[in-house]
Amino acid sequence: MDRTKKHAFSNKKDRKRNSYYLRENLELYSLFLPAAVLIILFCYIPMWGVVIAFQDYLAGNSLFALDGSVQWVGLKHFKRFISSIYFNRLIGNTLRLSALDLIFGFTTPIVFALLLNEINKQRYKKFVQTASYLPYFISTVVAAGMMLSFIEVNGVFNIILGVFGIPAKEYIAYPEYYPVIYTIVNVWKSFGFNSILYFSTISSIDPVLYESAKIDGATRWQQMWHITLPGIKFIIAVQLVLQIGRVLDTNTDLALLLYRSSTYSTSDVIGTYIYREGIQGGKYSYTTAVGLFMSLIGFILTFITNKISNKLTGYGMW
Amino acid sequence: MNILKRERSINLGSKVADIIIYIIAAISALITLYPIYYVLILSLSSPEHAITMQVFWLPKGFYLEGYKRLLSDRQLWVSYSNTIFYAVCETILMLVVSTMAAYTLSSKHLKGRKVLNYFLLIPMYFSGGIIPLFLLVLQLGIYNTPWALILPGAVSIWYIILIKSYFGTIPESLREAAELDGANSYQVLWNVFLPTSKPILAVVALYKIVGVWNGWFRASIFIIDSKWQPLQIYLRRVLVEQDIDLSQELLTAEELMADQVNRLSNNQFKYTIIIVSSLPMLIAYPYFQKFFVKGVMLGSLKE
Repeated sequence: MDRTKKHAFSNKKDRKRNSYYLRENLELYSLFLPAAVLIILFCYIPMWGVVIAFQDYLAGNSLFALDGSVQWVGLKHFKRFISSIYFNRLIGNTLRLSALDLIFGFTTPIVFALLLNEINKQRYKKFVQTASYLPYFISTVVAAGMMLSFIEVNGVFNIILGVFGIPAKEYIAYPEYYPVIYTIVNVWKSFGFNSILYFSTISSIDPVLYESAKIDGATRWQQMWHITLPGIKFIIAVQLVLQIGRVLDTNTDLALLLYRSSTYSTSDVIGTYIYREGIQGGKYSYTTAVGLFMSLIGFILTFITNKISNKLTGYGMW
Repeated sequence: MNILKRERSINLGSKVADIIIYIIAAISALITLYPIYYVLILSLSSPEHAITMQVFWLPKGFYLEGYKRLLSDRQLWVSYSNTIFYAVCETILMLVVSTMAAYTLSSKHLKGRKVLNYFLLIPMYFSGGIIPLFLLVLQLGIYNTPWALILPGAVSIWYIILIKSYFGTIPESLREAAELDGANSYQVLWNVFLPTSKPILAVVALYKIVGVWNGWFRASIFIIDSKWQPLQIYLRRVLVEQDIDLSQELLTAEELMADQVNRLSNNQFKYTIIIVSSLPMLIAYPYFQKFFVKGVMLGSLKE
């Protein structure tokens, strides 16, 4: 076979292969098309929509209008929010509820997983574990509804307290009880499911480590402290970074169901404020500015905690 | 001798610790299970016992009238079937859209993969928030129609990534063999990839079904017409906003007038509706949970 012929042959083969790849890529992109359309529509266009935070948007205007009909107002809405009385209250409430969630919501799944790990009877362990997943499958509306009905004036909680001579109270109407009520429902609903991650990480720890520790005479506590905990350190660090990044993102779903106008002083958070003023009150530009400002702070927080986690534990998301 | 003593004391300490651990575990199971159980026995008790709320162990005076009355409530059935409709539509659409997109990303010959990866990653970190989405839905003209729930629910970047990572575990030789036989991408996806990915599709579908079943927030924003509202919105009106009094709706005027003490109370109807609306999940979740555990593990690999 002479050189030119060989060259021509491989060229032809290349072309054939190229046209094959071209056809395959066309097919591949056609498969991606529906997802692309939906993602552009419901993720990217709303992302562009945050420009209304810098405008005085009127209901009915196009999200894309860039002509004379748009009133650009710069940082007016941001300034208004920061100087309003709501700013301190919302940040304070949000931080208080997030701190409670960090203290109880974040640690409970870890403690729960460590505890169950100490149980040797597999069936009992499995039962407790399965029971702990139940609240995840109960809707937030039902969980909140059960709580509300248990603690109402004629509810079972007040009946039980009545036995000890404590007068009945409409607990949900008092701002001082709100953080407790919110945290209980929140932790009840999520701790079992959030512990799955720790269970699966613990079960992936090499059993040889425990065996040799036992031979060295390590007690249960020592094994937990020196083997199990270091084994899940990485996951704890990552979860902590994620959680702190969400510190301004309280569970709006739940808050909207539990809060009352009488408890706004402790219950009103950014998500509920945006819902009330934006969706119900129609202040679209203003609430978009509020949301944008908060996600900016959230992003900075995630960034900082990730840095710190990297320094302290050597683990982080990036 | 000394060593033996020490060992015994460790064992004894271990026994005590064991008992404490078992008790704490039992309490935690009680905390998660009992509220629902309490609601169940109250819903099954006779009205004169239920009204005192002092039914703690077993139903007092087994009584099913509450269920009978509730099942004749038209709005309950409308919202129940709406939820089933949304769950079916959103789950099927999401599976189709995500599987197709995941196949694209799993192909080795894909040109511009980097761009597509960024296209999927950016929305996971940044979002426009709820207000721009609300305004978009208004502008698209799908506000207060089922499309306002179904269309945004038909795509989830997270599920695309989960399915894609599963596709990555399917041996490349299977795809190549099919391509040598002249199969195009659609045929490879349909005949080779789909049959082997049932486990991941089950995981993703169950996440979605539970999410749709229990979700209420988007519906409360996008749907104001009770004709299209899902179950959770109806529940919210009964349980949380309390603007519907089921005893007023479901009992006749004579019953309401005649018997103030022994008739079904709104509270008992609330407990009944909680059980009726959660029943599918209560029955299914012990079977679902192993898929959810799998999903969490798959997800953590990507983090």
